[in-house]
Amino acid sequence: MTSYQQHISLEVNKLTLGYFHHKAKKEILNDLDFQLFAGELTCLLGPNGVGKSTLIKAILGQIKPWKGEILIDNLPIESLGIEQLAKQISVVLTDPVFPGNMTVGQLVALGRTPHTDWSGKLSKIDREIVEKALSDTKINYLRDERLSEISDGQRQKAMIARALAQDGKLMILDEPTAHLDLVNRFEIMELLRDIASQKGKAVLVVTHDLDIAIETADRFWLLNCGTPLIAGKPEDLIISGKINQLLPGEKYRFNIERGKMEFEMRDLKFDILGPSELVFWVKKALIKAGITEINDQIFLEKEPFSLSMGEMKFTSINDLIFHLMPQIDSIK
Amino acid sequence: MPNRPFLFPIAIIILGLSFLLNLSLGSVMIPAGEIISGIFSGTWSRSSWEQIILNYRLPKALVAICAGIGLSLSGLQMQTFFRNPLAGPFVLGISSGAGLGVAILMLAGSAFGFALIGVNSWAIAFAGVFGAGLVLSGVSLVAWKVKDSMTLLIVGLMFGSAVSAVISVLSYFSGAEALKLFTVWSMGSLGALGWSQVGILGLLIFIGCIPVFGSIKSYNALLLGETYAKSMGIRTEKMRWLMIGSTGILAGGITAFCGPIAFIGIAVPHLARIVWKSSDHRILFPASALIGAILLLLCDAAGQLPGFASTLPINAVTSLVGAPIVIGLILKRNFSRDF
Repeated sequence: MTSYQQHISLEVNKLTLGYFHHKAKKEILNDLDFQLFAGELTCLLGPNGVGKSTLIKAILGQIKPWKGEILIDNLPIESLGIEQLAKQISVVLTDPVFPGNMTVGQLVALGRTPHTDWSGKLSKIDREIVEKALSDTKINYLRDERLSEISDGQRQKAMIARALAQDGKLMILDEPTAHLDLVNRFEIMELLRDIASQKGKAVLVVTHDLDIAIETADRFWLLNCGTPLIAGKPEDLIISGKINQLLPGEKYRFNIERGKMEFEMRDLKFDILGPSELVFWVKKALIKAGITEINDQIFLEKEPFSLSMGEMKFTSINDLIFHLMPQIDSIK
Repeated sequence: MPNRPFLFPIAIIILGLSFLLNLSLGSVMIPAGEIISGIFSGTWSRSSWEQIILNYRLPKALVAICAGIGLSLSGLQMQTFFRNPLAGPFVLGISSGAGLGVAILMLAGSAFGFALIGVNSWAIAFAGVFGAGLVLSGVSLVAWKVKDSMTLLIVGLMFGSAVSAVISVLSYFSGAEALKLFTVWSMGSLGALGWSQVGILGLLIFIGCIPVFGSIKSYNALLLGETYAKSMGIRTEKMRWLMIGSTGILAGGITAFCGPIAFIGIAVPHLARIVWKSSDHRILFPASALIGAILLLLCDAAGQLPGFASTLPINAVTSLVGAPIVIGLILKRNFSRDF
């Protein structure tokens, strides 16, 4: 497959990051190697406190690595000044500080900051790029709205439009879908995916939203304490089981059929017969109720939904669990 | 219209009217028409009016304009840089520093048994500049080590408190006459300056404004916070030094010549944001300068009790006007939304 060569926007070799605490060295990330490809949406997943934000700061050139190098288009970031770097990388952070008086149009125009003269006056080209960013994110209609008067989802889109107007090769977003509702989460991730594929930008998203990340990402980076970064297509990582690296311990497991994380429950003593999709949900409810063992066999019927256990018949899972509760006590 | 640019001509007209009102009010009421014809043609119907206007009221009005501009601009810089709606020109301890210099000149002399010789307005100005410079250097030394702007804000406030305590100790041991002199200074005065001092103050304001207008773009980027500003190529460390330098010159110079003038620096940037409904510093800097000049001219005019020869101290008037404004803002508006 050598004919298909992807353009590497960001390359990191043997990167070690850390900070000094009371003169003691505290290492956070050790010996990382990875590449970020143009035209791809990459999702960085990992537990809180693993060093994702530190990694982003290092890529932004705001903290110096202890060891290793960070290359943007084959140039080490130290060789680029902060102004040059700003033309290459734009970010959307989790900081929730917003000047309420600013309009969406003004916010997006701020993205042109690295490209304008000392007064920040927009040229004709700058204005066109701002307009393009507004229309690409489909928020033209919000141009004259003030930031205090729009919703969180709209504000997040405006921040993405601002990053887009900065017009770098890389976009880094730190948890852009946190605090958003389900529809907005999908919309934002779809939008980022479009930005990556249509504009040829390398987009890196830090997220905890595994479901949506699986749906939208071209590539996953899994980061965990004390292990090297795992990179790959999400589907490859799922099939190889490496996705379970996200979950320390044995408690949770990635369910390959359902495509999501679940409680790992061994020692289940159920005997439930019926359509498999119904069995799944009944089991789930039983596990949540703390029931791991039922002596009798349970039959499920779909239309109309009913559960029968021996001579008993129930029309909802709730009734079944209510019935089983005293039985559990007797087992104990 | 997000930025309301049409308000600028209106504000300039109001500034002109306030200027005339300020000149015409006083122990002697001089008609505005007389002032205009007098200044432009040089002929006055009474020679006493010429004396009053040219030697007393005109320099005072110009000082009011300079101080209004300087205090508002340094207040706006501080509020944006620290992203704190209650920051003002004096949060880095500048007024306390100037106060310390003047206190040493006026109070330490009497405390150690020296006579109050050489206490004239030039000496006071030098003492003020010296004291403000001293405290600002101390804060800068810390700023060198501190990375976080919020920590710098706290350090500035601590420096201010420590210096105020030194002033209290000096006051405690000083004589009644010197204490009265210092208290009067600390109430602020716009009228004590001659033309040469007005010239120097004007020059200081001009110099102090250069870095302000040179970093408009950086202040706009800083509205999103320090990390965003850096990600957009703004050198926030450089900005910090420009801001310290600019505020030192503006607020330090004004305090040295006029004494500490409260509230203008905090209240005016908020007024500019509310009146212009903008957060763009290309609008806010000129808007704050205009409102600051107008407000201080009007405060000074309000302090001229009609029919009396004496005037209320400017610091009392600005606080009397400023405090209700700030309270009203807190009650009516959510600060962070307008910020």
